[in-house]
Amino acid sequence: MTPWLRRQRALADYTLASLARRKGKNIALVAVYAIVVFVLASAMFFAASLRFETSAVLRDAPEVTVQKITMGRQDLIEGSVAEEIGKIRGVTSAKPRLWGYYYDRIVGANYTVMVPDDPEMIPEPGSVIVGEGIPRARGFKWSGAPLFLSRYEGDLKRFDVARAFESDSALMTSDLMLMNEADFRDFFEIPAGLYTDVVATVRNPNEVATIVEKGSNALPQMRFVTRSDIERTYQKLFDWREGLLAALAAAGILAFVIFAAEKASGLSAEEMREIGILKAVGWDTRDVIAMKLWEGGLVSLGAFLLGTVTAFAHVFFFGAPLFAPILKGWAVIYPDFALAPHVDGLELLTLALLTIVPYIAATLVPIWRVASGDPDAVMR
Amino acid sequence: MIFQTPIMALLLVAGLASLTALWSGGFAVQVLRRWNLADMSRAQLQRERATELVSTLFAAVMLAELAALLLFVFNADRMASLFVGAMCAVGTLNVNGYGFPALYLKIGVFFAATLWLMLDRADRMGRDYPLTKVKYGVMLAIVPLVLADAGTELAYFLNMHTDVITSCCSKLFTPANAGLANEMASIGPGMSLWLLGFAGLAVAVSGAVVLWSGRGALAYAFLSALMFALALTAVVSVIAPYIYEYPNHHCPFCILKPEYNYYGYALYIPLFLGTGLGVGAGMLSLFRNRESLADKLPAMIRRQVIWSMAGFAGFGLATLYAIASSNLIIFG
Amino acid sequence: MITLTSVTKLYNEGRPNEVQALKGIDLTIARDAITVLKGPSGSGKTTLLSIVACMARPTTGRVTLDGEVVSGLPERFLTELRRTTFGFVFQRFNLIRGLSVIENVMLPAAPLGGDHAKVRERALERLAALDLADKAQMPVEFLSGGETQRAAIARALINDAPIVIADEPTANLDTDLTMRFLEIVRALRAEGKTVIMTSHDPRIWDAEGVDAVVEMRDGAIFGEFA
Ligand SMILES: Nc1ncnc2c1ncn2[C@@H]1O[C@H](COP(=O)(O)OP(=O)(O)O)[C@@H](O)[C@H]1O
Ligand SMILES: [Mg+2]
Repeated sequence: MTPWLRRQRALADYTLASLARRKGKNIALVAVYAIVVFVLASAMFFAASLRFETSAVLRDAPEVTVQKITMGRQDLIEGSVAEEIGKIRGVTSAKPRLWGYYYDRIVGANYTVMVPDDPEMIPEPGSVIVGEGIPRARGFKWSGAPLFLSRYEGDLKRFDVARAFESDSALMTSDLMLMNEADFRDFFEIPAGLYTDVVATVRNPNEVATIVEKGSNALPQMRFVTRSDIERTYQKLFDWREGLLAALAAAGILAFVIFAAEKASGLSAEEMREIGILKAVGWDTRDVIAMKLWEGGLVSLGAFLLGTVTAFAHVFFFGAPLFAPILKGWAVIYPDFALAPHVDGLELLTLALLTIVPYIAATLVPIWRVASGDPDAVMR
Repeated sequence: MIFQTPIMALLLVAGLASLTALWSGGFAVQVLRRWNLADMSRAQLQRERATELVSTLFAAVMLAELAALLLFVFNADRMASLFVGAMCAVGTLNVNGYGFPALYLKIGVFFAATLWLMLDRADRMGRDYPLTKVKYGVMLAIVPLVLADAGTELAYFLNMHTDVITSCCSKLFTPANAGLANEMASIGPGMSLWLLGFAGLAVAVSGAVVLWSGRGALAYAFLSALMFALALTAVVSVIAPYIYEYPNHHCPFCILKPEYNYYGYALYIPLFLGTGLGVGAGMLSLFRNRESLADKLPAMIRRQVIWSMAGFAGFGLATLYAIASSNLIIFG
Repeated sequence: MITLTSVTKLYNEGRPNEVQALKGIDLTIARDAITVLKGPSGSGKTTLLSIVACMARPTTGRVTLDGEVVSGLPERFLTELRRTTFGFVFQRFNLIRGLSVIENVMLPAAPLGGDHAKVRERALERLAALDLADKAQMPVEFLSGGETQRAAIARALINDAPIVIADEPTANLDTDLTMRFLEIVRALRAEGKTVIMTSHDPRIWDAEGVDAVVEMRDGAIFGEFA
């Protein structure tokens, strides 16, 4: 070890002993600090996780979705539209899709019902393939139990569960129910030749804008939604919500900063005497500042770890119950899902800057003031 | 204005750095007018003690600005999905006219704070605080830089609109367009590698001279700066295409993305380190003749030159590895 | 050798409650000797001691330590010089409560960045020499008056400073403990240390082994005795 390292170690040792001697006060400080980190971290983790899930889902989504708009609302679309769009240069494929939502009144959950594209996934007539969330919601004890779906009072329709599938991204698949086309049309009473929407894939992503322009000219009553439009909309929504929560947390940070500055400048007579002794026995202003920075660093680190870990558990294991009222708006987008744990460096860096920087800023000047006392003060 | 947490963090750092700079600037004026070590009064003692605060604050600002610089680029990259036409940080920075100036100012503030801390360190080694007046004179030059950085950053974020269509790296870094970025991209890859190699050799020779004779640190500093410029050119013209394995993609920002294993950091961090330490060594050598530093400064300069050479060597290794492990073949 | 030339010290400079604690002191303190500053309370002994020991800068005047001028040094270098040159035993001992004896003793070594194990060994040796080896791990608030002082002496010696400074070392001690203290001082002298003390206790200035006594009154030197 170099003398520099040994000096740091000696200062850190002293700091640890000093923190331990004033347990009560320091635990209170770390607790308040950790709460601030917790609130901010919860908001950020939640938003970032949604962003991550959204882009994961959208990555496989088609570049362009075409919807029919009647009286300002989305309407069923004719299958022929797909053929017309397929003729536009640059479009590699255009397919009509059948999908919708089904509200399960028995358990109060929303399912996404879909006719799959992949022939392997198309179930036999009278049976369905479901995400693992559905048997779980229904409380099925054994595999092979039939699924009864009721569209309205007195209605009951029976499906056999061909199989249930599992998936990492709970966002889109755990509530998914796959049917074949005939069952779907029958179940939702949709006439032949009509579809929910049309999706198109494009050879070169840079040509999306041109294709949308051509399509809109040819089919003026259709709405063209591109993947990046959807992504942008979600991003903005999430950013805005996160920002709102962060602004709320900012008020908390401010209060905490005042609290911390107060604590750092209003040292007890005992602590002042200790620092006076250190200076008298040969510690320099720099040494005292370094020791105090160790203290601030250890407190920050403790609070940061505590706050982020509890926030992680709060959001990803318990579904952010404390913020339910504010976060509800998010949950509406995707009914009923669990967040996949996801944290990245950007978030942690932001979180650290937003919490540690104000704390250090609030305490540096008081620290310096304490550290720059006269070394001969304790001789009087 | 886009309401986002990383933006709030960046503005917070910029705001606090400005406050620190303003206060330190005021103190600097006081030091330049009144600093007098022969004066044993209490006022002078308090000025001496206040220098401890300024040094600590500047070290804190430097660290926070370093983190902010990383966050700034990181966040620009992430925000690219908000703007039509943006694929990476370049697109976001191009959303309005303040983006790139803000980035350059941030880098400038970081370098300036680093150099100032080196002066500070050297100053503290001499018993008569030999560089205090120089140090606080330089401080007065840094203050406007910090303020300009904060102002530009604020303007950048306030004028961000998601409905603008920006141009990204594919438009900026192509030989087809006019401008510095494109000129960098259009330098032939062979030419640019040769230049880089020569600069590296010159830096190594000059560094060896400094280590061996203790002279020539100023020349080393100039070569470090030259190396920095040539290295950035090489990143744009050859190294980045090797990493992308695509000869026409020259973007110096996309290499920071996770898709490319954050390879850019392995290039930029040693490069910045090497440059900062090298230029700092040259700056320090200007004061080598101060009497009270004569026995300590040469050692500090040597150490900085060693670490600076290590930084450039790190950059060189990262470059070679990028080229060797790439499937792209430009030469041959 | 420590010399002071026309040293003055003002407290609360330029304010209505300004005090001139030292008035033009000229003094030479020999190395390799025991020097005692005596005088009534308020005569400026502690102030003079703090200037001699590089703890404070004089308001005017010149102080040299072994030939080097130290009065104009910036505080930081003064501290650097002080922690390797002077060991302090304070009037109220000033140990940090809540820390053990050994932790207290090791405190002055922390900023020097010495090897932890070696410093610890040195501390234990010092404590053993002062009959405190068995109390090393005890929190200082449980020590008796004499033990507290000996712990403070051990702390003063941890950096192997050649000059030991003690301010009113026997103010709170009974006769037995005073004698014990004087024995320790003589042992330090025998080790080659220079000792400078202040006291208004006749038992100290009359003690055997004291080489020089400087008498102070009202911030000025009243007389020097050898
Ligand atoms: N920090 C201070 N502020 C103001 N006056 C002081 C201070 N320290 C000492 N004094 C004054 O300086 C004079 C000398 O004090 P001191 O050196 O402590 O004397 P002694 O140690 O001989 O008792 C006294 O009048 C005392 O009141
Ligand atoms: Mg006294």
